[in-house]
Amino acid sequence: MNQLRAELLKIRSTRTTIGLLAGLITLALLFTILTCTLSPMSQLFTVQDQTNVLSFGSIAGVFAALAGVMLFTSEYRFGTIRPTSLFNPNRNRLFTSKVTAGVLSGLVFGVIGEGLVFAIGIVIFKIRGVDIVMSGANMTELIVGAIVGTALWGAIGVAIGAIVPNQVGAVIALLAWGFVVENLVFGFLPKIGRFLPVHASDSMMGPIQNKLLPGNAGVVVTVGWALVLAIIGMSLLRRRDVI
Amino acid sequence: MTYVIESASLTKRYGDVLAVDDLSFNIEAGTITGFLGPNGAGKSTTLRMLLGLAKPTRGHATLFGKPYDELETPALRVGAVLEATDFHPGRSGRDHLRMLSRAVGLPDSRVDEVLALVELQDAAKRRVKGYSLGMRQRLGLASALLGDPDLLVLDEPANGLDPEGVRWLRDFLRDFASGGRTVLISSHVLAEIAQTVDQVLIISHGRLITESTLDDLTARVGGVVRVQSPNLDQLAEALQREGIVTTRNNDHALLAQGTTRERVGDIALSAGIAIYELVTEGSSLEEVFLDLTSEGVSQ
Repeated sequence: MNQLRAELLKIRSTRTTIGLLAGLITLALLFTILTCTLSPMSQLFTVQDQTNVLSFGSIAGVFAALAGVMLFTSEYRFGTIRPTSLFNPNRNRLFTSKVTAGVLSGLVFGVIGEGLVFAIGIVIFKIRGVDIVMSGANMTELIVGAIVGTALWGAIGVAIGAIVPNQVGAVIALLAWGFVVENLVFGFLPKIGRFLPVHASDSMMGPIQNKLLPGNAGVVVTVGWALVLAIIGMSLLRRRDVI
Repeated sequence: MTYVIESASLTKRYGDVLAVDDLSFNIEAGTITGFLGPNGAGKSTTLRMLLGLAKPTRGHATLFGKPYDELETPALRVGAVLEATDFHPGRSGRDHLRMLSRAVGLPDSRVDEVLALVELQDAAKRRVKGYSLGMRQRLGLASALLGDPDLLVLDEPANGLDPEGVRWLRDFLRDFASGGRTVLISSHVLAEIAQTVDQVLIISHGRLITESTLDDLTARVGGVVRVQSPNLDQLAEALQREGIVTTRNNDHALLAQGTTRERVGDIALSAGIAIYELVTEGSSLEEVFLDLTSEGVSQ
């Protein structure tokens, strides 16, 4: 618990987190206002259309993952891994605390990202007279799925940071995977691509596009990815010397 | 006897490079020990193994009888600074200490205490990127002192300090050790810590070359003691009667060859001669150090 409090203070005590939050809010506002205002009414009829537009808050997962990556990589980049390890030589506890901090910060990113997109999107739909066909269950699945998915990306980010301590390398790997590799695999081989982490976490938000896994399976697969990466990250952290 | 630090056959190999080679030594409580060697001798690797940051290839090390990571809340018994740059530049000095103190359950009031102790309270809320090297060294020391430890391990703490900073550090460490606490301080420059330490461990190429008190080291290889007295002629005669060769340094001082401060002081006391200054010459110590480490290289 003490180490978790230390990790949460680390997140709050630099401007990195504020920068990431500002980026998320700017991007979420820009996308939601433009898409909800400019999309033709004919593209906002179905549950899938509306869910798809309002699911943009899940972009918070990228920011949560980046914040998670920073939890480890900035320790290596600035050398604070040395005092951190001296004050908490139990590497399992250190890793678990960082993953928990990553999940908690991911929850905050998720609530802000999806909360903003959903609230503003619904308001613009109402102003434009769009008939909201999403049920309460659809809305709950979308919001909870986006927030939980973002929290899991916080954990995945921490694990990636432990696996690739080089900050630039870890960030590039994360973005290249999320924006390029997964989309290519899903585009050409959707039966495989839907099991990859970005598309698995997308499926937690409901019917945002075809060929995704069912929601429950999406939860299991995303948690599975987080666990596998966490086990690899923790094992490397335990084996690696702090030099 | 239980030692504060025990190193037994500590060995570390990185691929083909043998960084530390079968290093064994013990350090008693209440001493200030200089851990000396040229750059690349294996000092930092040894300290990392003592502190559980690096796993030895062979051998083991204990602090207070246990491996570092098996001590209960080790930061409350051992304070360590390994690099002067181990800070996030965008975090304030105070927040850096708060994040460490939280990890071991210490209150923020302890953070303020150590900031005052290292005279950084006025800069505490400034971001570290605006700190001078001396301020960073002191912030590092503050982090080591958070847990009010019984042992301080410092890796090259005088690097980059101005003379005033070196003097501040020397006084601080002397004060710290005067209460029976222990200090292990590494350096690649003997003169930098010669006035601070009681004993030295000298390593070269990962191997222990010498383990002795500073005065023994000086005497063994022909050290020089500078002594000031109002009665230089009488003092020279007294020393020469004991077989010590002396030369006049200037109007106020003699140089006594191949002896120790203790011996010169004892002889002067027996002869009833006042002494104003008694110093082991740093330059000759440095030569001793260089001789020993270059012997290590040639071995």
